[in-house]
Amino acid sequence: MNIKHTLFATVLALGAMLGGAAVKAETLRVGMECTYAPFNFRNEAGELVGYDVDVAKGVAGIIKADLEYVCQKWDGMIPALLANKFDLVIASMSITEKRLEKMDFSSPYRFSIGRLVGRKGLDVELFDSAGNPNAENFKGLKVGLERASTYASWFEAKLPGADVILYDTNEALYLDLQNGRTDLIMTNPMKAYLRFLSKEDGAGFKLVGPEIDEEKYFGVGVGVGLRKGNEELRDRISAALKQLINDGSLEQYARKYFPFKLHKEEWGQ
Amino acid sequence: MSFDVALIVDSIPKMLMGLGLTLQLLILSAVLGLLLATVLLLMRISGKWYLDLPAQAYIYVFRGTPILVQIFIVYYGFPQLGFIRDSFLWPILREPFGCAVVALSLNTGAYVSEILRGGVLGVDRGLHEAGSALGLSAHQRFIYITTPLAVRLAIPAYSNDVVSLMKSTALASTITLLDMMGIARTIVAETYAPYEIFISLAVIYLIMTWFIQKAFGVFERFMSRHERQ
Repeated sequence: MNIKHTLFATVLALGAMLGGAAVKAETLRVGMECTYAPFNFRNEAGELVGYDVDVAKGVAGIIKADLEYVCQKWDGMIPALLANKFDLVIASMSITEKRLEKMDFSSPYRFSIGRLVGRKGLDVELFDSAGNPNAENFKGLKVGLERASTYASWFEAKLPGADVILYDTNEALYLDLQNGRTDLIMTNPMKAYLRFLSKEDGAGFKLVGPEIDEEKYFGVGVGVGLRKGNEELRDRISAALKQLINDGSLEQYARKYFPFKLHKEEWGQ
Repeated sequence: MSFDVALIVDSIPKMLMGLGLTLQLLILSAVLGLLLATVLLLMRISGKWYLDLPAQAYIYVFRGTPILVQIFIVYYGFPQLGFIRDSFLWPILREPFGCAVVALSLNTGAYVSEILRGGVLGVDRGLHEAGSALGLSAHQRFIYITTPLAVRLAIPAYSNDVVSLMKSTALASTITLLDMMGIARTIVAETYAPYEIFISLAVIYLIMTWFIQKAFGVFERFMSRHERQ
């Protein structure tokens, strides 16, 4: 068995060397935390899996590159990229103005949005057909939010009269929603699903209303990060991401972990 | 580091919007706590073990655990029990304000009952004996001799407890109440300027402490008016 494997590997290696002379195989080193479930983490078998990992593999398949993963702690992610420890950041990194000063991003592959969560059977038209909140129907409803979060700024701007209660942690939001001290909470739907809705405690609750994604409050989304000056590679990655959106792969990656997709269809254009 | 004076000028009025809530918490908890303390005191000095022991246990538990833990148990713990959510208590415990008042009153009641007991025990035995020699009943002695003297003896320690209760009201901000502390924490989370905001807040609390001390000073002088020349 071992001998067979070794032989096989040798043949492969020889083939690769011979082939390498003809087609230059590109190896891209990808930085990620490797501990951020369900986006990039090791499963029980020790393999790197997750939404980010699937995106990396999908992109690599299209642009015909080999991948090498580099596990890097979050606070050192951008310095390590700039120090050429790896070529790409595919680690759920949001595209922000501040980061764009130092690095470049592909087009987005995952959104940053907010969703309301409320009790099943809460039957109020909170939003009109255009997706704008209907202030009248928020009256009498208590809304739990995290202190000084993007969700709180959105509420302050859009629904200044709403009865808002501020919490210090995400867990406290779910507890008080369950206890009936609030009628609604607004948070990141992925977090809400993983920590609450998919658990027994969250059984009586559901996502309410549309995806709230105004760029002014929530940013553009998550993209593949790379060093500046790699425009050609960046454009190839963006094109590959669009292909993954349009052929449905991206939605398939998301549905491994969530009952909803994590991107906007218009990113495919 | 720079000290942003404009930010302080801007945020003090915002924090003062929470003053009303802070005062409500303080006054309501102080009054309810004092009532509770009186009941506990009577149980403690009743001389009957079946009243004394429960009071002792209560005082031990509430003085022996952090007030923050008590607030969290009332706020997050009680609603987990179905029968509390179905009971008449739920309208009170549903509201964070009710939870804060309940927790603060239960806590301060335990401390104040011990302060009052100290006052009662400090009343000279000789006065009791003189009272009975004059034909006063036990009840009369308690009302006309013990109570006024015990109150006077307890004032300094009690004023301390009221100040400490006032500071404890800041913990209500941990259960979503926007008292002065809650507003300050929100401003800090938005401006990342803890230094300016919390120092201004500390000054506001110091001013409140000064008023409380002054008020009790006046009360103490009134209760000791016979000692003046």
